[in-house]
Formats: sequence, C-alpha cells, structure tokens
Amino acid sequence: MRKLLFSAIMGGLTLVSCTSDDTPTPGNTKIDTPVNYTFERDNSSTVSYGGQTTRIQMAKELVANLKDFENATEEMVLNMFANENSPFQNSELNESSKSVKSKVAASNLYFSANTVESSAIKSDFDGFIDAQFNNVAVNKDQLAEPGIPGQILDGDAVRYVNSKGLEMDQAFGKSLIGGLMVDQMLNNYLSKSVLDEGDNRANNEAGITEEGKSYTTMEHKWDEAYGYLYGDPSIPSIDPNSVLGSHDDDFLFKYLVRVENDEDFAGIAQEIFEAFKTGRAAIVAGNYQIRDEQIAIIRENISKIIAIRAVHYLQAGKNALADNDEGAAFHDLSEGFGFIYSLRFTNKPGTNMPYLSKEKVDMYKEQLLDGNGFWDVTPETLDSISVEIAAAFGFSVEEA
Amino acid sequence: MIKISKILLFATLIFTACSTEDEPDGGGNGTDSFDRGAMLVNWADNIIVPAFENFTNSTQQLEDVTVAFTADPSEENLVTLRNQFASSYVDFQTVAMFDIGKAEELNYRRFLNTYPLAATEVEDKIASGTYNLELPSSFKEQGFPAMDYLLNGIGETDAEIAAKYSSENYRNYLLDVAKRINSLTKEVNSSWQGDYRDTFVNNTSSSSTGSVDMLTNKYIMYYETFLRSGKIGYPAGAFTGTPSPINVEAFYSADLSKNLYLQSLESIVDFFSGKHFNGNQTGKSYEQYLESLDRGDLANDILSQFDVVKSQASNLSANFKNQVETNNTVMLSAFDELQKVVVLLKLDMVQALSISINYVDSDGD
Repeated sequence: MRKLLFSAIMGGLTLVSCTSDDTPTPGNTKIDTPVNYTFERDNSSTVSYGGQTTRIQMAKELVANLKDFENATEEMVLNMFANENSPFQNSELNESSKSVKSKVAASNLYFSANTVESSAIKSDFDGFIDAQFNNVAVNKDQLAEPGIPGQILDGDAVRYVNSKGLEMDQAFGKSLIGGLMVDQMLNNYLSKSVLDEGDNRANNEAGITEEGKSYTTMEHKWDEAYGYLYGDPSIPSIDPNSVLGSHDDDFLFKYLVRVENDEDFAGIAQEIFEAFKTGRAAIVAGNYQIRDEQIAIIRENISKIIAIRAVHYLQAGKNALADNDEGAAFHDLSEGFGFIYSLRFTNKPGTNMPYLSKEKVDMYKEQLLDGNGFWDVTPETLDSISVEIAAAFGFSVEEA
Repeated sequence: MIKISKILLFATLIFTACSTEDEPDGGGNGTDSFDRGAMLVNWADNIIVPAFENFTNSTQQLEDVTVAFTADPSEENLVTLRNQFASSYVDFQTVAMFDIGKAEELNYRRFLNTYPLAATEVEDKIASGTYNLELPSSFKEQGFPAMDYLLNGIGETDAEIAAKYSSENYRNYLLDVAKRINSLTKEVNSSWQGDYRDTFVNNTSSSSTGSVDMLTNKYIMYYETFLRSGKIGYPAGAFTGTPSPINVEAFYSADLSKNLYLQSLESIVDFFSGKHFNGNQTGKSYEQYLESLDRGDLANDILSQFDVVKSQASNLSANFKNQVETNNTVMLSAFDELQKVVVLLKLDMVQALSISINYVDSDGD
C-alpha cells in the first residue's frame, strides 16, 4: 500500500519538471479501466492467449502421466515435455507447434544471454522425469526408507518418493510454476525488452494491429502474461476471480487461490486482477507510466505467492515431522522444494532480479536434500530457510 | 484498492501532458552533424564492393575447379575441389550480411546458404535428373550446404565419394550447384559495379528507407539471426534445451564450421569499425558515428564485448558437431556472449543513432 502511494508521489515529483511546451502524445489520455477484462477494437475482442492455455493443458496432462506408472513411460512423458511424436490424448495439443520445454527458463530478461543456466534448468526437469520412471517407478512395490526409494503412506494416500523422500511429480509440477508460468509472465511478457521491442510503442499508439489480428503487439504481449495466470480453460477470461471457489487449474492460479484463502493475504487476487486490467487499459491509452506501475504490482504479488507457499509447506512439513508423520511431511516438503525451486524466477520490482539470488536458492535446495534428504532434515534447517525467505519478501513465517 | 486506483487515476490526469522521452526518433530529423553520406561511401567503396569482387573471383574459381573435377573425378581432384569449396565458403562469410539491393531481390543468401540441407530431396533430384534450382522451394537443396554434402557426405572415403561421380547425374547436379553459386554472385557483383553503388551511397535520408537505416537493420539481423542463432544457437539448442548437431553449418565437413564462424564474426567486427576489406585502414562506420555523438563509451563496450566473444571462441572445437555432442556448455557460453552484443547493438546503438529496428526476432505465441 504505502509503496504504491510512494511511487505515485515520486512519479508526480519527477514530472514537475515537465513543462508545457511538451507536445502531448495522441492517445496519452485518461485511461478507462473496465469492470471486467474486456477489451475490444471495432467490436471484436482484442484479448487472446491461446498459446498459454495450450501450454497449461500440456503441463497438466504431463504431470498426470508422471503419476501413472501403469500406462505411462519415460519416453512418452519426455515427448510430452518437448511435444514430439504426438504424445497427448488431446489431439489439439499434438497439432500445436508449441511445447512446454521450449519456454522453461526462457524469459528474455533472465535467460536470453544465460542459456547455460537455462539449459541446466531444462535438464533438471528432464531429470525429474528420468528419476520418476527409472528410480521411483521401478521401486514402487517396496517401502521407502532412508536412502531407498519406494512408497510411503500419507493418510489414505500412497506417495512414491526417491531415496531422499522427494516426490518427483511434485518437484516437477511446482518447479514448473516458477520455471514456466512465473518466468514467462514476469520476466518475459512484462519486461520492457518484450513490451517495448522494436516499434511496439509507435504501433500501439497508431493502433497498428498485427497482421490479420485485432490486437497490437504490445496488447498481445500483455495478454500472454495474463494467460499464464488465468489461461486454464476452467477460468473465464473476463472475470477470473469469479471461479476462485471452483476451478480445475493445477498451477499458478491454484496457489493464488490458496494464498487468497489465507486471511493474512486476502485481497491479493483482486489486487493482481486490478493491476492486469489497469495495465491493459493503460496500454490502450498509450500511458506507459501507469502500465509500468501495474507491472510492479504484478511482479511483487505473483512473486509473493511463490514465497508464501514455499514457507507454508516447509512449516507444514516441519509440523508433520514433529508428529512423526513422515508420509505427510514428505508430501509437504516435496511441494515446498518445488516452490523453492521457483523462487529463482521471481522478480523484485525495480531490480530486474529475483528476490533471492540463484546462489541462495541453490543453497536451500542443497540443505533440503543433503544426505538422506527429508529423512534427515532438521526443524532448525526448515525454520532458518523459512525465516530467510519470509524476510526477503516482507512477510512473517506465521502469516504463511 | 479503490483509493489507490483513484490516486493513480489522478496521477494520470496530471501527467497527461508529459510524454514520450523514451521513444526513439524514427522520424529522422537528422540533427547530428555526422556525415552519413561519407559513411555510405566507405561502406560501399572500401568494404562491400571489394568484398563482392573478391568473392566473385572465389566463386568463379569454385566453378572452374568443379568443371575440372566433373571432367575427371579422381580422388586428387576431389581434394582440390574440397579445398576450394572450403575457401569459397569462408569468403562467403564476408558478403553474407549485405542482404540489400540485388542480393535481397534475388534471395541471394537463401539460395547460397540455407541449412540444414534437405539431403533426401537432393538425392531424389539427382536420381531423377530433373530439377529447377531457381524455385524458392529448392533453397534447401543447393548452395554451399549442397556442395558440402556432395563433397563430404556421400561416401565414407574419398575413393567412395569420387566413385559416385561415375554417374552423370551426380556430375550434373554438382556442376549445376557450383554454376548457380557463381552466376548469382556475378549478378549481385555487377549490380554493385553498376548503378546500385550510386543509388546506395546517395540515399542518405535518415528515414527508415535510407541506406543507413536499411543496412543497419540488415547488419543487426544478420548478427542476431544468422551468426548468433544460425551458427551457434540452433546447433546448441539454445532455445529448445536439446543440442541439434544437424543444424551445424558445413555439417558434412570435418573441421570447417568454426572457421566459418570466425570469419563471419571478423567481418561483423570489421564492419563495425569501418575497416577496409583490403588492408587495415579504417573509415567511417558505427564506431566513428558513435564517437561523434559522444558515445565512444558505447562503441568501446561493443568492441570489448566482441573481444570477449573472440576469446571465448578459443574454447570451441574446430568441429561444432563434435562440440555440441561432447561439451555443449561451451557452445551455450558462446551464445550467451554473442547475445550480450545483440542488446548493445539492437537497443543502445540504434537508439543513439536514431535508427528504428523494423524486424522482430523473438517468437511469441
């Protein structure tokens, strides 16, 4: 809150020096933010993010198959990751030219001159798939023990873990929230290098749309960011928050809802949606300052979702370990591991960097998986990681 | 929430009059004092024209040696032709970026160097003996990649390869490819020897249709798409996470790919500094232009990053196919260093020079 007010005032101060001989830009007028995410040109909608919906669907089918030891194979799931050899049940996905893998750790801001790390991250995801079939699945009929992969009971559910207690499907699914959705949204589509690439500003102001489309390039880039949060087919494009109570998303939106349902963070869903709408309306009006202010709001809040869930699961894991409920603990810690993996893709407004450095995040992952991993991890380790994450993002461990 | 939107809205209303300080001046008021015309003269007379003259001699030589080989397909003649091929392919790197005028009209670069080659289609056409290399659908079946295949990829040993040329169809196809490389090159060269040189040099407008803007777009696009992505990024799988050896330039030659990369890089750096094609003298180009605008700092940043790219290249194997198959990280590092120059050229330099970039490389959804 205070931050926002501050930036508005700062903006005002900066512009005091702006004198009356500046020529007003056409289109830089009052922005008109609609009630719903509804934007039109010549009576047809300019909102489109089919590519995001496609990738979310691919990711969902992939993760479901990671757990299907009876029917799925490593080759099939690797094919789903890269969308090769028509691996999907849904034939529309097979026909798509898009793939999940090509957009993992692929943002313009973080990875365009950092393909060494990008490639290592993609290999991590390949590695989760590999381990699930070649290490976990082949040992599914034995009990997991320290240093031994197998099954473990969590309430009524049976979980399958590697030798460190980590569930590969959770590692994959939760890491993907950062590696695909958050990275593409915050560090690619909402980055200046993408929104303002080439003649995007001039074309946007002149209303020059992409060939055969109703939207300008900048409008479309913004909507593609929007699609990585709201792109699941069960979420209505115009008023996504109408389904906070009931939707089928398994990725970022699902955890936005979880955070929204924590009373310490209630309101976050509306804040993010307002920022998306206002920023989109600002693009229509050619007002890039307001647009950029909304980007900061989105970056801060989306990043926070990742951090809050990371801390939440570490604490849940710690509590379950204290109750000697290892099955429940390992499930929580597996989710927590994925959210920690995702921290690398957060974006602290004004820095063009994540809230926590890659080195810190790598260190947390190492601490969690050291030795026999979750079998050995101490409450002190879980607390110290939780405290550091919460502090970096400005909330308390208790709130998460 | 409501309060905040009100504040923002209020802020917007206040700032309405303020606008576009970040926008590149694409309109071209031409207020700087740098002599763009003199730069165009240096580009044409000291770099582009001599480079095409040299390359035309090279492709003529390539055709002549091919004629000799097809007349007598001995192993010895094969080796001679292969050497000439390698040398011409390297020479091609000195003109590949100049996709303007006749070269652009003819799709010159695409006919000479589209890879990976469609090897199966090439074999089909050789077998049938009927083909039309002028069709755009045949970009992937000719040029240097086709010669690379026909001289290196159709047998295990030199004896096996030479033996293939007992077939008239192989001889004809090889000769047709070599002749076409030469005839297209002659056509581009003669346009520069003729009227096009003056057209190019006199088009000093600082709008998007002026020669400086047009060639700068071509220069940066060549660097980004053909040097960074084509020679390094695609083979390394920089965009997919999976290395793709078949995408290596000169895939069938053992140790040519790195030489092609190094020559391409050197040509890019020389052009930036306005270095004459024949000799070490320099004339007006981007480096001097930036200095005249008090942006010598940016010119230095670009040149130092080029130095980083060059020294990184010493870690690369002479054979990029081996490189991506054995230690792809070195290849990805090359990409990352190359990318840093893209940002400097495509954002900082063009902004300083008030040039508008009119192509987009990034893929969307």
